[in-house]
Amino acid sequence: MPSIRLPHALGVLFVLSALFVGAAQAQAPVQLRFVSLAWQPQAIEAAQSVVADWNAQNPDVQVEFQQVDWGSIHDYLVTSFETRSVPDVFHYESSAILDFGARGYLTELSSILSDDLRSDVVPGAWESVTDADGNVWGVPFLWESLIVLYNRDLFEEAGVEAPTIDDPWTWDEMRAAAAELTRDTDGDGQIDQYGAAFGLRSPVNRILNLAVGFGGDFFYRRDDGSWEVRVGDAEREILTIITEMMFEEATASPDGVGLSGPELFPGFFEGRYAMLPGIGVWARQQIVENAPEGFHWGVLPPLVAETQEQGSATQTLSISAASTNQEEALAFMEFFLNSQNMATLAQGDWLFPTRASSFDLPEFQTEEAGWDVATESARHLRLAAFQRVPNFAEFRSRVATPILQELFAGRITVDQAAERLEQEGTSTINR
Amino acid sequence: MTPQRPIARFLMTVALWTFVFFLAFPLVWLVLTSLKPSAEIMRSGAQFWPETFTLENFRNAILQERILQTAFNTFRVAVASSLLTLAIATPAAYVLARRPGGVNKPVVGWILLSQTFPVILIIVPLFTILARAGLGNTHLGLVLVYTVWSLPFVLWMLRGYIRNVPVEIEHAAAMDGANHFQILTRVLIPLILPGLVATGLYGFINAWNEFFFALVLLKSPELQTIQVNLARFRGVEGLARWGPLAAGSVLATIPTLILFGFLQKGLVSGLHSGGVKG
Repeated sequence: MPSIRLPHALGVLFVLSALFVGAAQAQAPVQLRFVSLAWQPQAIEAAQSVVADWNAQNPDVQVEFQQVDWGSIHDYLVTSFETRSVPDVFHYESSAILDFGARGYLTELSSILSDDLRSDVVPGAWESVTDADGNVWGVPFLWESLIVLYNRDLFEEAGVEAPTIDDPWTWDEMRAAAAELTRDTDGDGQIDQYGAAFGLRSPVNRILNLAVGFGGDFFYRRDDGSWEVRVGDAEREILTIITEMMFEEATASPDGVGLSGPELFPGFFEGRYAMLPGIGVWARQQIVENAPEGFHWGVLPPLVAETQEQGSATQTLSISAASTNQEEALAFMEFFLNSQNMATLAQGDWLFPTRASSFDLPEFQTEEAGWDVATESARHLRLAAFQRVPNFAEFRSRVATPILQELFAGRITVDQAAERLEQEGTSTINR
Repeated sequence: MTPQRPIARFLMTVALWTFVFFLAFPLVWLVLTSLKPSAEIMRSGAQFWPETFTLENFRNAILQERILQTAFNTFRVAVASSLLTLAIATPAAYVLARRPGGVNKPVVGWILLSQTFPVILIIVPLFTILARAGLGNTHLGLVLVYTVWSLPFVLWMLRGYIRNVPVEIEHAAAMDGANHFQILTRVLIPLILPGLVATGLYGFINAWNEFFFALVLLKSPELQTIQVNLARFRGVEGLARWGPLAAGSVLATIPTLILFGFLQKGLVSGLHSGGVKG
């Protein structure tokens, strides 16, 4: 009698299906999505190996590793936040996450992080991810300093002795050395070897970070809470040094105007520039991997302005506010950033870890690849004012980049650049 | 034959080869870069011919970076979206071309207007709709996005091709007893085949080259498309892993080249057959 049996059969099938689905759901591990910005093979390998360790140790919480590139991450994250299809944990940088935090996209971490992480990460790094109200929007785990790379052979030929950590050069001493290293090697009246080259294609962050050593913050808060751009003597120092080296002393190559720091490497390898000041510490990896055999290079200690301080942003991990697995995301983040893992990740990216316990590991103190001198530069890092300024991304792209590019192309003077930065900059950041 | 003719022919040949060289040079450069070791790529002086040939970049791109898997994903999505676009656009274009009046004018106006919307304006609502329909993080969702994206232009082009076909041919088919469906499939489609090839290729290339929708929509690495995969080779401050990027780009170009090779005849005649006639 099919008319009677069919409902029974369907009922049994329904119950069995419900049981099966329920059982499957009970056994299904929590899935976390982790977006990483690692892009060099070593860095990817380091991040993936930490994720693999986590997955092996935590069968109930499995992490999916997703790689996104630096050029697209901002649009990717904003779209993800707006559509609430968010990564549970993501890698980005301190200057951006403060803005995300203010918009409510991120989980506030100050009260939920472990004591170990809170006490071990150095205070300067925490400062970079903490807003004016004390909210912590991410865990800083990598940071970068600006270093000076130099060609040992050219120094030797010119009889220039490289400074030491204990006796670093001032900017003026670097300029004097650049003059000695600038040469017309074939006697045709043209300079073939410049003392220095600055990568100035995207100069804003570099200039703002280097200005910190001269006491120049560029951004100042008014009494009413609004911000103002001021380009006083301290801020002008670095602009003046670079323009004078390029246009008056001819000791810095004009090649740098249209190129980024790493794009100067071919000329550096061929001896066209003796020094590359103000290049990211991670750039050493490119030399190790791509320099011709027999190329001798080194890292100079941070140059002394008023101080050796530099501004620096940190790379961070944050948890999306819309993540439905907050607890698991936090546990994964704590694991990902334990002392040993952070050191592995920092080495993979050729950057510095922010944990004091990782920072002092022997791998960051070795002379190999200039780690010891580079690490010294990390001791002088501090938060630059621009990181807390609203609309900084717009200031950088629409105001500062074109003005600085005009300055370094020799089309305007330092005074003109300063005036425009103050006027256009102040209205942009207060918009 | 006047004495000027051989000279004119010679000059034309020179101009043509110059043009071909101009067009082909970036591709040749890309291929040669993909065959250079990384240290040689970083050397200044822009050497044309590699000093040392290596397949290491291809090995990295294929074995470490899953270029072939992502190329296959992209191919699948691009083919599906261009076929779906044609399947929707062809009958719609037929109606717009052959039944003027009524709502057709506003529809045509809307098609033109829809071309002006920037991607960023629609990405959030589009993504939300797809997520609610359970199509986030699926190739099917991406196929629908690409179809919607290419549809207005393809529809506009096909309308032009169809209007170019004399309506008397359809009348004759109707006299012989063909219904609308038969007229469309047996008479019209063979006549506008070049146009279908041209617009289909347009849809395919659109999908093949698209980056942002694929980046935002597809979360799982195994679903990734080739453009998103290639972007991972780029780093900060103009740095990139140039060797594997060049090798991956060469591999990414091959399917499009093959497709063009096969469909070249249809494409050329399609481009000549009145697509701009509105």
